Amino acid sequence: MAILFFEHFQLTCPSRASVECERAVNKKRPVNLDLTQFRFPLPAITSIIHRVSGVILFVAVAFLMWALQGSLESPESFAQVKESMSGFFAKLITWGIVSALLYHLVAGCKHLLMDIGIGETLEGGVLGAKVTLAVSVVLILFAGVAVW
Amino acid sequence: MLVSVYRYNPDKDEAPFMQDIEVNIPEGRDLMVLDVLGLIKEIDPSVAYRRACREGVCGSDGLNMNGRNGLACITPMSEVVKNNKLVIRPLPGLPVIRDLVVDMGMFYKQYEKIKPYLLNDTPPPAIERLQSLEDRDKLDGLYECILCACCSTACPSFWWNPDKFVGPSGLLQAYRFLIDSRDTATAERLAELDDPFSVFRCRGIMNCVSVCPKGLNPTKAIGHIRNMLLQRAT
Repeated sequence: MAILFFEHFQLTCPSRASVECERAVNKKRPVNLDLTQFRFPLPAITSIIHRVSGVILFVAVAFLMWALQGSLESPESFAQVKESMSGFFAKLITWGIVSALLYHLVAGCKHLLMDIGIGETLEGGVLGAKVTLAVSVVLILFAGVAVW
Repeated sequence: MLVSVYRYNPDKDEAPFMQDIEVNIPEGRDLMVLDVLGLIKEIDPSVAYRRACREGVCGSDGLNMNGRNGLACITPMSEVVKNNKLVIRPLPGLPVIRDLVVDMGMFYKQYEKIKPYLLNDTPPPAIERLQSLEDRDKLDGLYECILCACCSTACPSFWWNPDKFVGPSGLLQAYRFLIDSRDTATAERLAELDDPFSVFRCRGIMNCVSVCPKGLNPTKAIGHIRNMLLQRAT
């Protein structure tokens, strides 16, 4: 009986060290992925803007199609859509969508160049990112003039 | 100098935390970050990190220093320290075993996947398989990789898909064997890589190129693999 009790005690109360060992092994390991703590080079930043502009376009296209359909229904609805697009706020949004499109286009062209092997060096990548930003800023400014 | 070190001991800590340690840096010397870690170890012996050769050959001490991956042993303080402060964190994206030591399992698994050895189905010659000088030159910039994981753990595509995207380091090695004139398994190797994740998760942001301590260019190698896959499909 005493032996049985002893065995039972051993089974249910393992030593403290082995408990700690088991806990450490079973615990989910943390991962260092606090993105605010990392320094991203310029090509990485232009790439994430590329992605963001793509998402903006994806959402915006739905509204643009809706506006297009509205404008095609009748002369009155065309006038109505035209009217609603002429406010300052509406123009600002239009400019935003056009900006996203222009940036996405320029960054996409950079991708095509990289696909044929241009701008794949360390310096070339940074230069490509700078050119992408510069060209898009110029185009976006022109687009602003065109919208207003 | 104030050094902020990522600390995590699975036996004691519920979650990782940053420990600030004031380190006295000897006047007029540009120490390597690994030397700074050595000084920290004298102050607090419980800080854990990997190291071996201390000269950028073994690839053990890949760390994230002030937000940038690199080998602590060949990264001088003058290159990373900003405003007299240094933040040392483990390589991003891999599970932390303790403090600055990460579990490289995922990284090695991807390396294993690309079969990093010569495959040749022709009978072996008496002495060795010869290669022309031109063919040998094609391996330059590829074979020098020391598998420190600085590139793959700087790559967002690898962070989000470490199980499916081979990552810059693995792909550099994949290309090293694809382009080797002594390897006859080119078609099989390409077939293994031909899916939406293995190669094509690369978005060409070139974080890998900007951190590689050996100055290698995985982005370019990935571009070459892409072209080979394209040619194979047409």
